[in-house]
Amino acid sequence: MSPLWGLRNLARHPLRTVLAVLGITVASALLLDMVLLAGGLERSFERLVLSRGYQIRVTPKGTLPFDTEATIGPVTPLVAAIRRDPDVVAAGPILAVALHARHADSLLPLVGYGVDPSGQGIYDLLEGSDLGAADSAGLLVGRTAAEALGLSVGDSVRLVGRLDPQVATMGVERRMVVRGVVRWLYDDRTMRSVGALLPVMQRFGWHAGNDRASLLMVRARADSLAGGVVARLREAHPEVGVNSVTDLVGQFRERISYFRQVSVILGTISLAVTVLLIATILTITVNERLGEIATLRALGVARRTVVTQVLVEGAALTLAGGALGVLLGLGTARYLDTILTAFPGLPASISFFVPQPQGLLTAAVLLLVTGTLAGAWPAWVAARAPIAATLRGEAP
Amino acid sequence: MSVLVARDLTRTYTLHGQPVEALRGVSLDVARGEYVAITGPSGCGKSTLLQLVGGIDVPTSGTVSMLGTRLDQLDDHELTRLRLHRIGFVFQRFHLLPVLTALENVELPMAEAGVPRRERLERAHELLRYVGLERRERHRATQLSGGEMQRVAIARALANRPAIILADEPTGELDAATGQEILALFRQLHADGTTLVVVTHDDRLAAEAGRVVRLLDGRVLG
Repeated sequence: MSPLWGLRNLARHPLRTVLAVLGITVASALLLDMVLLAGGLERSFERLVLSRGYQIRVTPKGTLPFDTEATIGPVTPLVAAIRRDPDVVAAGPILAVALHARHADSLLPLVGYGVDPSGQGIYDLLEGSDLGAADSAGLLVGRTAAEALGLSVGDSVRLVGRLDPQVATMGVERRMVVRGVVRWLYDDRTMRSVGALLPVMQRFGWHAGNDRASLLMVRARADSLAGGVVARLREAHPEVGVNSVTDLVGQFRERISYFRQVSVILGTISLAVTVLLIATILTITVNERLGEIATLRALGVARRTVVTQVLVEGAALTLAGGALGVLLGLGTARYLDTILTAFPGLPASISFFVPQPQGLLTAAVLLLVTGTLAGAWPAWVAARAPIAATLRGEAP
Repeated sequence: MSVLVARDLTRTYTLHGQPVEALRGVSLDVARGEYVAITGPSGCGKSTLLQLVGGIDVPTSGTVSMLGTRLDQLDDHELTRLRLHRIGFVFQRFHLLPVLTALENVELPMAEAGVPRRERLERAHELLRYVGLERRERHRATQLSGGEMQRVAIARALANRPAIILADEPTGELDAATGQEILALFRQLHADGTTLVVVTHDDRLAAEAGRVVRLLDGRVLG
């Protein structure tokens, strides 16, 4: 017997079927979003910190990158020592300082990054050119800063450093020329950031002559070699913190463990809603059709066939609702992402909902299996219905 | 040779906590090609007898043998297969599947029996021609008249070439004129060698049968 009977039964009560499919759509969209959320932030974070291939971070002992205003130094010999490691192909310091730009008759606060262009992992060049090794007047600006200051490549701007607001004194001021427009990988959407060579930025900050940096980014020849490099650096430089991306992701995972817990709870609830919805619909339709089922059994249709027909109905409802749920879930995820990533302090390129083939497959299999099994009880009831009593109208 | 042998059948139901004796020791033999009518007043146990010999209900005591096979010795799967291949049911209320067309309703028992699609389509067309519904085969059951539905039900009962057709009040839901058409169809079935057991109130239908078994209060009269 073909699945025709089971499927056509769904068309008997179109409104009921449509409402059931919509219910499953919403529940499966929630399930999908929870699956994406469960590991999305973690995967997105890992993708971000590996985006330019730098697998290792060297930070002030006991801190995470940009977690505090602490610095490490002297940084020049440290970078040189790290670069001597045979498995290291690049290493560069980064210093973050607070500075200002003159704009009309006011001072616009900025974040300044001191970088070494030969070993940097915090920006992608979008327009213009990168800084030269001795380009002490060159400046890289992020899009937000460029828009706020009305700057484009070739323009100049006066930067002010070591501003003490209490006594209104300025330690240093100099004119810089925009060489390139960049995307700062770790900036949130509102940050106005600029970059210059490390020694230049050290002079803008309170680090002049101190050879300090906020962190170092190190790239090993291969991901598999990063662990060995980390171990050697830890041994050779116990005064600093050395973490691989795996370490950082682990620490990040601990900080966001509540996301996973929330997503598991909500995902389980959405699965339960799906199961209850399908079981309810199928129980109603099976109870309405007990006479037909008894007829089928009288004609010699096997219990297994009857069960299969009911399960096919459950699977069809699940597939229809699940397919729409994927569209709704992805749309919702995108919308929620724009809200959540607008929080200050979160890198703009991070995402809370990251579609992963394995995650999508897990959600699809979970939904299909549970949705189909939701029909198991009504199917069992249908198959066990006493034939003669049901035909006589005596069945409960 | 007997197609059907029933011995000392009793059937007691519990209805609202009270035992109801629907059959009290009924025996029945039906030979191949025979046309038997079972008659009697409402509640005398006619339909119950049909359900017991058709293997869709279990007697409280007594035995039923179909083509030499004792039904009480079969498990559910075997009994289901026996109903599928050896018995054709025709119900008073037709019991067609409303979401399927006439053709699909006739195909259904053959599909369950694993008959290849092409073969079962040919047979379904042939059977619908036999009952005079070749022009209605694409219509859903709900689009057919009562007489047409009963004819589809008869075609469905014949689908797997059963050894016996068991019909429960086949004209009970039909007007007189339509009942005559079904009567004629049963006459034709009998003439073609089909073994028939028909439960009926309809004297015309009973008069067509080669033998009439009368029930009263769960027992065979005479």
